[in-house]
Amino acid sequence: MTKTISRRDFLKVGAAGAGALALGQMLPAPVAKAAKASGLLNEAGSGYISSMCEMCVWRCGLRAKVVEGRVVKLDGNPEHEHSRGNLCPRGQSGLMNTYDPDRVLTPLIRVGQRGEGKFRPASWDEALDLVASKMTEIKDKYGAEAMVFSSTHNLSQPLFENLLYAFGSPNYGTQRSLCFNAMIVANLMTYGMEEPGRIYDDKLKYILLTGRNLLEAISTSETHDLITAIDRGAKVVYLDPRYTKTASKATEWLPIKPGMDLAFHLALLNVIIGKRLYNRTFVDKNTIGFDELKKEVSKYTPDWAAPLTGIPAETITRIAHELAEAAPNVLVHNGWRTSNFINSFHTQRAISILNALMGNWGVTMVEAAGEESGTLGVPPQPAYPRVSALRLDGVPWKYPVVPFKIGVFQELRDNIVSGDPYQAHGWFISRQNPIMSIPDRAKTLEAFGKLDFIVTVDIIMNDTAWFSDVILPEASYLERYDPLLPVGNKVFIRQPVIEPQGEAKSAMWIYKQLGTKLGLGDFFQYEDEEDYLRQQLAPLGVSLEEVKAKGYAEAPETPHTGEVAELTWATPSGKIELYSDTLAKVGFSGVPIWDEPPQPAEGQFYLLTGKIATATQFGTQNNQLLHKYSEEPRLWMNAKTAADLGLATDDWVEVASEVGQIHTQLLATQAIRPDCVYMTPGYGHLSKGLKTAYGVGAADSAVHVTHTDPISGGQALSQTFVTVKKA
Amino acid sequence: MTEIKHHAYLFDATRCIDCRACMVACSVENNIEMDKTRIWVAGLGVTGEFPNLQRGTMVYHCMHCEHPDCMSACPVGAYTKAEDGPVIYNPDLCIGCRYCMNACPFGVPHFDYDKGLIEGAFIDKCTFCPQRIYNGQEPACVETCPTDALEYGERDELIAKAHARIAAHPDRYINHVYGEHENGGTSYLILSHVPFKDLGLPELPEEPINEVSETVMEMTIPFALSWGAVLTAVTVGVAAYDNKKKAAEEKKAEESK
Repeated sequence: MTKTISRRDFLKVGAAGAGALALGQMLPAPVAKAAKASGLLNEAGSGYISSMCEMCVWRCGLRAKVVEGRVVKLDGNPEHEHSRGNLCPRGQSGLMNTYDPDRVLTPLIRVGQRGEGKFRPASWDEALDLVASKMTEIKDKYGAEAMVFSSTHNLSQPLFENLLYAFGSPNYGTQRSLCFNAMIVANLMTYGMEEPGRIYDDKLKYILLTGRNLLEAISTSETHDLITAIDRGAKVVYLDPRYTKTASKATEWLPIKPGMDLAFHLALLNVIIGKRLYNRTFVDKNTIGFDELKKEVSKYTPDWAAPLTGIPAETITRIAHELAEAAPNVLVHNGWRTSNFINSFHTQRAISILNALMGNWGVTMVEAAGEESGTLGVPPQPAYPRVSALRLDGVPWKYPVVPFKIGVFQELRDNIVSGDPYQAHGWFISRQNPIMSIPDRAKTLEAFGKLDFIVTVDIIMNDTAWFSDVILPEASYLERYDPLLPVGNKVFIRQPVIEPQGEAKSAMWIYKQLGTKLGLGDFFQYEDEEDYLRQQLAPLGVSLEEVKAKGYAEAPETPHTGEVAELTWATPSGKIELYSDTLAKVGFSGVPIWDEPPQPAEGQFYLLTGKIATATQFGTQNNQLLHKYSEEPRLWMNAKTAADLGLATDDWVEVASEVGQIHTQLLATQAIRPDCVYMTPGYGHLSKGLKTAYGVGAADSAVHVTHTDPISGGQALSQTFVTVKKA
Repeated sequence: MTEIKHHAYLFDATRCIDCRACMVACSVENNIEMDKTRIWVAGLGVTGEFPNLQRGTMVYHCMHCEHPDCMSACPVGAYTKAEDGPVIYNPDLCIGCRYCMNACPFGVPHFDYDKGLIEGAFIDKCTFCPQRIYNGQEPACVETCPTDALEYGERDELIAKAHARIAAHPDRYINHVYGEHENGGTSYLILSHVPFKDLGLPELPEEPINEVSETVMEMTIPFALSWGAVLTAVTVGVAAYDNKKKAAEEKKAEESK
């Protein structure tokens, strides 16, 4: 019988977590003065304040219930398009991030060895002086490029970019190459935009999901849209080697062999073009390179793809016909975490092209609204200094089509280790946990060993902070402002619903103070957070007070493209590029081609990872509420395979790859292909400062092998092969 | 006089993605201790053999019966059934006899010895979120549900809605609204694509299980007679609890040294 949470299971958490939610026992926080002044809170400090979630990057609107200066409940904001009144389990548990007993509430300076976890508290002045002097020392000695900066996508990112570009470093790391580089670069090459928007309206008839586990990797509104579409009778075909919760709701689940999604999509293109099932009018008017595409995909018949994918040729042919019949009310979903194999770029290109052939532009796919709005103001600032140093992550000298602001994070780490083309000496890390997120954790720790100075900005003692020299405590998302976020025709605010606890400060404050100490004050021309937001709002003619009270301001929407005849795209040709000259010029194939990924040897398994509803990447495992409602992380193995190997559920097993091994417990299940094993990422933390998460599960990054897609720079996250034996 | 509307929940297992937002929302809203929960996931989960699989889980909490067995079984009247739906537990009256636990066909009330002794609240279960529903909000679990698998509304309307869904998609649903009649009806109604017993729900007659509760009620007199014994047991229990607590504090003190 499948294990589900029973009340008995909570007893396991009991001793450690008991009473932690008794809010009265938590650290007292003074009332958010601003909210009180604007009348959102009464004299006692109680009321509701609208803000935005930050438990993942979907950023749902929320309404925080505050009682006497403490957040006691979060509800979804019905007026926010991303939440529509709902919050997922992570959003619901967000206040536990703020009230995490393991919060870092004062700047910390390391006193012991790196990784020993010995720090002393310091004042902001002392900590920032130390950071500024170390950064300046590195710049003076080795050049600004010897200082590496990295941060995960967030609303304060523009100010983080200001800090690093004003400092003069080209070395900017994001998390994207560990996630969706393949999708973004493919869309840029095809449509000239990172990710088109998706429309789930009543007409949508057919959805093809390639590993997009939308019902576990939740994006609140889109997850709701998908369930509603299924309920309405839309057909959902879902490709995944695992029987996920999405698979269980899909009309048709195809347990495809890992790495073979490309073959499946090339065969779809083969049938659609060969049988003339595409939208000829749309293709003639709006695309270039059809003939090159046609020539290439003529090789990839369903009969060719069947043995590779494990999906019968008739099924592939049928799906191609079904798609064409439902067109243009079809959506071939690009997916989310899409960098799975070194061929993932071509997979993503094939998906983007498939959409174009269906002529679904303006029907189910539109230009994404984007997070930057031309309608918002921005404080004045000087031009960035010219930077001539090469980037350590190989963009563009090794990865010519990867955008600068996306980068190749794992390559950055590799070149910190190799010292090639030059040696890095410092790393400024904000809201990121590269020790857990970059594959081959031992190598990331080796990279840390090469550096003279590491500083981390975070709200808790994450693993990277644990190995840092200085930790700068950031205010949580319920305690701070961030720059405004445009969503559709509204601009939403993240604002403090309580005052920051301890000495925690907003990123906007931290970057400005540090920038000023570095002599870069001109890049941070705002008095404080509120002043920055006022400057943003100036062109809209809306007061900050009004936005704070409502949670948003109306803003003119970017006009949508109208008639098909007027469509243009930001590609070199101005059309959707089925054949990309940009790719051909730098030596890659202009059209998607078959590139067979390596396969596990006898006795090895594909190691798959994938999200669960109760965690976001590597940063939420210490949240006690999420911990309470998450299942014990275990290694999934097909029940029959496990039986053949003499393994049973809850057995301790050793999982080994070429870079490391981990010990974890097994879950024998029918819900996975026999040639795969799966583990939930984000467990196996190294930081003993994470008292809830420490000692729970094992780390995928300890066994993940670094393989980079040569075109998109995406880390091939499913291309690690492991052996499994009884521990 | 305004008519009191009878409210209920409707849970649709075909829409539930087992994300547990409802569980977290309930825990936060009602300030539930970390080792307890008022909502849990029941059901067989994934069944079948690869690749022919099916999945069925359900969000389980108090069914808020129309004829609550907990209420019939309770010797001190600690349970009441409100006209607008909720089955309400009153900790001030509860003596911790556990009859409700035996009586409930759904296994809902669970007993907390420690909390009972300290706060008098031996039983913890879903309350219908009175602090929300009487302030124009939905219960916490319903309001947050990202897929609207949980709904809240007037019981009659929800029953009609449930039947309409079955009629619209007869291939998708088991042709039955669980809780419409089970045990004399409940205020937690369930639609499913898998047999209800696979969701962990008992097969119950339409008539309330009076026999069970009546049998329990017959024990009230012997129970009253043995009250002295119970009090003795409680005294022993308190002493045991004190010792346990003391030991825990000592251990804690030792650890912090």
